[in-house]
Parts: sequence; C-alpha cells; structure tokens
Amino acid sequence: MSDIGRGMIDFARQFMPALEAAADTVRIGGRLSGRRVGIALTLEPKTACLVEAVASLGAEVAVFGSGHSTKGEVVEALVAGGISVFAEVGATPERVVELRDRFIDTRPEFLCDDGATVARRIHGVRRDVLDDLRGVAEETTSGVRPLRLMEADGSLMVPCVAVNDARTKLLFDNVYGTGQSVVMATLDATNLQMSGKVVVVVGYGKVGKGIASVARGLGARVIVTEIEPVAALQAYHEGLQVRPLAEAVAEADFVFTATGIGHSLTAHHVTQMKDGAVIAVGGAGRPEFDPTAGPHLVEGDEVRPQVRALTAPNGNTVFVVADGYCVNTTAGEGNPIEIMDLSLALQLRALDHLAGGDLAPGIHLLPRQIEDEVAMTQLASAGIRIDQPTEDQIRAARTW
Amino acid sequence: MSDAADRSRIADISLAPSGHRAIEWARRHSPVLDGFVRHRLDDDVLRGRRVAVVVHLEAKTAFLATVLADAGAEVVVAGSNPWTTRDDVASALVERGVEVHSSRRSSLDQWESDLMAVADTEPELIIDDGAELTVRISRDRPQLYAHLGGVSEETTTGVARLRQLEAAGRLPMPAIAANDAACKHLFDNRYGTGQSTLQAILHMTNLRLPGKRVVIVGYGWVGRGIAGYVHHLGGRAIVVEIDPIKALEAHTDGHEVANLRDALAGADLVITATGGMRAIGRSHFDAIAPSAVLANAGHHDLEIDVPALEAAASVIDEVRPGVTRYLLEEAKPVYLLSGGALVNIAGGLGHPIEIMDLSFSVQAMGCHLLAKESLPPGVHLFPAELDREIATAKLESRKIFLDPMETAQQDTLHGILDLSQGGDGHV
Repeated sequence: MSDIGRGMIDFARQFMPALEAAADTVRIGGRLSGRRVGIALTLEPKTACLVEAVASLGAEVAVFGSGHSTKGEVVEALVAGGISVFAEVGATPERVVELRDRFIDTRPEFLCDDGATVARRIHGVRRDVLDDLRGVAEETTSGVRPLRLMEADGSLMVPCVAVNDARTKLLFDNVYGTGQSVVMATLDATNLQMSGKVVVVVGYGKVGKGIASVARGLGARVIVTEIEPVAALQAYHEGLQVRPLAEAVAEADFVFTATGIGHSLTAHHVTQMKDGAVIAVGGAGRPEFDPTAGPHLVEGDEVRPQVRALTAPNGNTVFVVADGYCVNTTAGEGNPIEIMDLSLALQLRALDHLAGGDLAPGIHLLPRQIEDEVAMTQLASAGIRIDQPTEDQIRAARTW
Repeated sequence: MSDAADRSRIADISLAPSGHRAIEWARRHSPVLDGFVRHRLDDDVLRGRRVAVVVHLEAKTAFLATVLADAGAEVVVAGSNPWTTRDDVASALVERGVEVHSSRRSSLDQWESDLMAVADTEPELIIDDGAELTVRISRDRPQLYAHLGGVSEETTTGVARLRQLEAAGRLPMPAIAANDAACKHLFDNRYGTGQSTLQAILHMTNLRLPGKRVVIVGYGWVGRGIAGYVHHLGGRAIVVEIDPIKALEAHTDGHEVANLRDALAGADLVITATGGMRAIGRSHFDAIAPSAVLANAGHHDLEIDVPALEAAASVIDEVRPGVTRYLLEEAKPVYLLSGGALVNIAGGLGHPIEIMDLSFSVQAMGCHLLAKESLPPGVHLFPAELDREIATAKLESRKIFLDPMETAQQDTLHGILDLSQGGDGHV
C-alpha cells in the first residue's frame, strides 16, 4: 500500500514546480534546518510533498490529519519515510482530539495550520507548549477569521502568517481549486448531470464564485444567495440570479454551501427543498449545513458511497454528500495538484518567513514579493513570460 | 432467480446489495425510462421475446435491462467492453432474474466467450454497443445471424459498422441507428461524454483544468462536447481534425485548430475522440510534450496505439490507480489513463444517469419497434415522432411544457403565390 502512496506522491510532485522552487529558495537561508515543524493540513499526496520538502530542509516534521480526509496510503508512505504521523483513516472525533494532542506533544516551533484548529487548542487547553511555538502559517479563510478575533481580544500570543490571504493563494486555491474540486467530487459521488440543473450557491465569496463558475460552465443555471450586499451585487453583475435562500432552495437540484460559517443551511431549508435535491458543503464543513436545526429529519441509509438520504417530515428526501463534511476533501482528493502547488509553496515560504524571527505576535500578510515569486515560478514552468514595466511607465506610476 | 444464477457467469453473487442500491439510484434519475417507456412497453409486444443487451454493464444499463425484463422480455446481458463491467451491478441483475455473462477486467478471451454465450441463448433482438455482438454473430454463428429479428445500435462506431455490413450485402435483418436519434447523439455523445470524460480525467489525475492546453483529436459530437466543456471550465481546447468542415466549425466555435504534431508539442492533456483506430500512434510519440496525459473518449481501446506505446517505452509503471507512466526516448514521461480504454467508463462512472435515461429510452423504444413492426432489412433511422415524444417526456419530468404552434404563426405562401390554382407553373 505504501507503494501506491509513494506513486501518488511522486506523481503530484511532477506537477508542483512552485513548491520545488520555494524549497530551493528556503534551503539557501537554512532557517528551517533543525527546527521542529508541525504540519496539520489535509493529509493527502500534495501535502505529503510539502512534508517531504520541509524534511529535506533538515527540519524535524510531525504531521497531523483528520479522520475523514486522511488518505491511508499517503500515511503509510510518509511513515515508511520516517516521518511522525498522527492521523488515522476513519478516526472518531474523540480519537482525532487524542491524535491532535499527541501531535501537539511534539512541541512544534512552527506550524502549518488548517482552520486554526491546532493554534486554537494550543492557546486554549494546551498552553503548556505555547512557549515553544514561534509562529503559525494559516491555510484557510475559516482559520484566519478566528485568529483575527483572537488578535482583537488580545489572546493571540504568536505571529501568524495569513497564507490564505496571499493573492497567490486566495485568487486561485479558493476560486479555481475549490470550484473545480467541489463540483467534480459531487458529480463523481452522484453520477448526475450538471447541464440544465438549478444549482443554488450559498455564499458568493471566493469559494462560492468558483463553484458558481464551474457549475455554470457545465451548463447549470446558478442562483446565488448572500447576506452581504457587495458580494450579491457582484453575482448580479456576473449574470447570475440572486435570491433569498429560503426561496432559492425550493427550486434547487443541487445546493452548495460556501459560507465557511456554521448553520448557513439548516433543516428548515431542507423542508422547502424538492424531493431528490442534493446538498454538498464546499466551505468549512460541519456544521455549515446543520440538519439538527429545525424540524426533525430522519437520517436514512447511505444510498451510494458518500451519499446519504435525509427525509423531511413532508416525506421529501434530500441527499447529503460526504455527510456534510467538506465534499472535495472527503469525497474527493481535495484541490487539484497545481493549485496546491501554489498554496503549499506559500506555506513553505511562510514558515521560512516566520523563522526569520522578527515578527511580533499578531496576524501578518506575506510580503508581496513572495507572492510574486511564487506566481512567477508557476508561470515560468508553463512557459509563460510577462512584460517588465518601462522606465517611463514606472515614472508615470509614481507621478501625481 | 436460481435459474438465472445457474446460467450466468459473474464475479460474485454476494456483491449484489450495493448493485441493487446503484440500480435504484439510477431508476430515481431515469424518469423517461421509468415512466413513458414502461408505459409504452406495457403492450406485451416484448413478452417472451429474447433480447440480448450488450452495453457497458453498470447501473444505468442494468436499469434498462430491468425495464425490458419487467415488460416480459427474456433478457440476456453481457458487457460491451472487458474493462467496464461493475460486478456488484451484474450480481444484482442476476438476482432480478436476468442472465448475465460478464465480469470486470476479464481477459479479452473471456470477454469474447461471454459474448458467444449470449449469442448461444439465440436472442431475437439485440441492443448492441459498437455492434460488438452483431459482428461476432455474423462471423461465428451464421445460422443464427440469418434469423435475427433486429438490432438497435448505441454508438457512432456501431452504426458505421452496420452500414458497412449493409453495403456489403451482409445485413439480413433490420437495424435501428439508435445513435442517430436526436435524443441520443445530441445529448449522450456531446453532453454525456463531454462531462463524464473530463470528470474522469480530473478524478484520476487530481489535476487542474483551468489554464490547461487540451488537445482534442476529432470534432464529432464527442469532441464538440469535450471542447465546449474545456472552454467553459477555463481550459484551452486545441482541436485536431482531418475533415475541413468540422475543423472550420471548431475554429468558428472559438477553439484553436492545429495539425496533430504541432498540437501534441504543446499539450498538457490529449483526448482522442475519433471513433476510429490509432489516432495517436508510433509516428507521433516523439512530438508529445513531456508529462502529457493521454486519454481516450472514443469507442475503441486502440484510438491510442497502446501496444506501440509499450514497445516504445523503457519503463512502464502504474503511478496512481489507472494512471500508467511510460518513459519514452530521452526519459520523457507520458501518462496514459485506463490503459487507453474509454476513460469515462473505465476510469469513472460513465455518462450521467439523466443522459442515459434518454439514450436507453431510445434503445428500448427501438427494440420495441423492431419487435412490433416487420421492418425490411437494412439500417433504419429512429422515427422522428418517437424522438419528439421522448424529448417531451424528459421536458415534462423537469416540469417544462411547450407552446403549440398557432395556425396564424405559420409561414405560408399566401399573398405571394396562389397554390390552390396549381398546374401550369406560372405565377
């Protein structure tokens, strides 16, 4: 089985030129050599490439992964390569907490976090390791949000790089990566057709934009629901229908949530849906779709792998993909490799940036130069060249 | 059931439960087959008639077989490709009393003998895919071939084969070109194969589509569908054609058009959709860009000449499930999906269910027509009226109802010509 994992990791690396370039850059400074680095990202082949890149720089790496998105063959391949892995396929939520604490026991100095789950725990009940923690690189919108709240109320004790907010991440990973992988994972799980369908996208942030664009590209009619007027106005300018959620769900063949916020879609909405509608979560996972809020829904069988029936009191049945976890990482392999090439290259540069040592506790953005360098490496590998500004242009841009 | 089990050759009957669930899911999304078609077939025309179904054997096909069996037909099933059968679905069909001869990844020899086992049940009617069963009966069971009641054919490739047989004076029975029905090729070949081919490639490789240079060899219905989806999903479709009109159509659709060698040199992804053989062969390997991914969306497993690829490679290994790496000259890697078999079925779940609801409704009605009417030998088009009825049923299942045309809306020559005078040819 580790052979399968090995093959998948090596295949992914073939399509990750930006990560390779980032490792070459970081290696020159040598700042991660001998450091304890914890990586708590979705544990699959692309993340494994980051893990191996960090290990190749001389760091001691520990890896944590959740129960529902961890790929067993990748764990085996990493363990075979001598990496400490705290992840088990299908681990219960209680077991995941145990594994996370054992991961925290390795006392990471630098941490790649996802959803700030580890950083929050260290700032909460695991303050015993807080002194060792020198910096956090956060991958997602849903992790940057609580970190900013922690910063605002004075509880954040370490510097955090909002990798998520880098343009080279946010404009690609969240839009194209999640858009493609969420829609495709849902179609893979259901074997259904997209053209001609009514697709409701709940939330028109970066992820919602990506999902709406892919669904529309595949021939669906997209309805966007929003609570934020500027985002709604963007959807309107994109030529999409914008309507209140309670109305929109009544027409939906597919509902994708992309809010990153709990309780965005509930059992109340399910009672409004057509028989046979499909629900998939593209944002933060549970409880973004909360089947417990509202009338009692009867949970039925798994009608096919990753598809479960939920029946409303009116007798209508809807189908939830991946039990309401993030559908692309749970029912699929997560974001495409080339997308994670960008995001993970930024993670690596962020770790190095944090290891530079002079950042104060709080949220930091990656310097623009690092964003640009990472973008340039992927452009170059695609054989794409761009223009340099002329002296006249530079002068004009600086004149008022 | 035990009769069917005794006569069948399948992998493992105990796999049936997930097969039943898969067929039930297919039924749920097949309103035309489960409604309109069931109703039309309820006239006992198919009762007791032996119908062979030789189509990629998965849940949608199994639901077609179920509908035919429920209409009283004695249904016998084999897969139309040795790679694509779903064993759990085959088992569920046997539990439903249908005789099945098929298993996934059987050898070519085993697959051939499965087809012959179906032939030896002496079917009157065949629902065929690629005319695979029909041509074998023609070759190996001439007595049976002379007395076949009719064939309804699923694919472009199969219809072309039947027309070849007809031209050679070797088609002694009526055949219906189900593929050529509007409700089939306008949807199945274009949207069905388009969506599911890209879906399977992305699933198997975990690669990104936006920005990718996707070479599509062949701009028939399948190529059109793939190119359209590639374009809308942010890829760059580069079309290769030998037919100037199709090439001009691709150009006018906004795609790049190039000859094969130039296209291959810049390819991230290469998809064959010609319906022929060896669209990519030995003479092209040196032109393929390093790390390109090759996949086939056409009927034949040899649209990409895999034996030639094997002969040209120094190293061959499976790097992900269904993804084989070939190291060619100068250690250039290229990746082949699903061994060159139809990638959407061998590497995915096949067409979306709603698409096959249309295609199989055409097939079922074609089969019913063959049983009901005594059509003369030769290739027949699917009746336009049935096509319209199927489309109407599909629309109604989506709660879409059309306006009738009013008399006043018709264009007539009234006011320009007086046709009632007739006769002399003068205005």
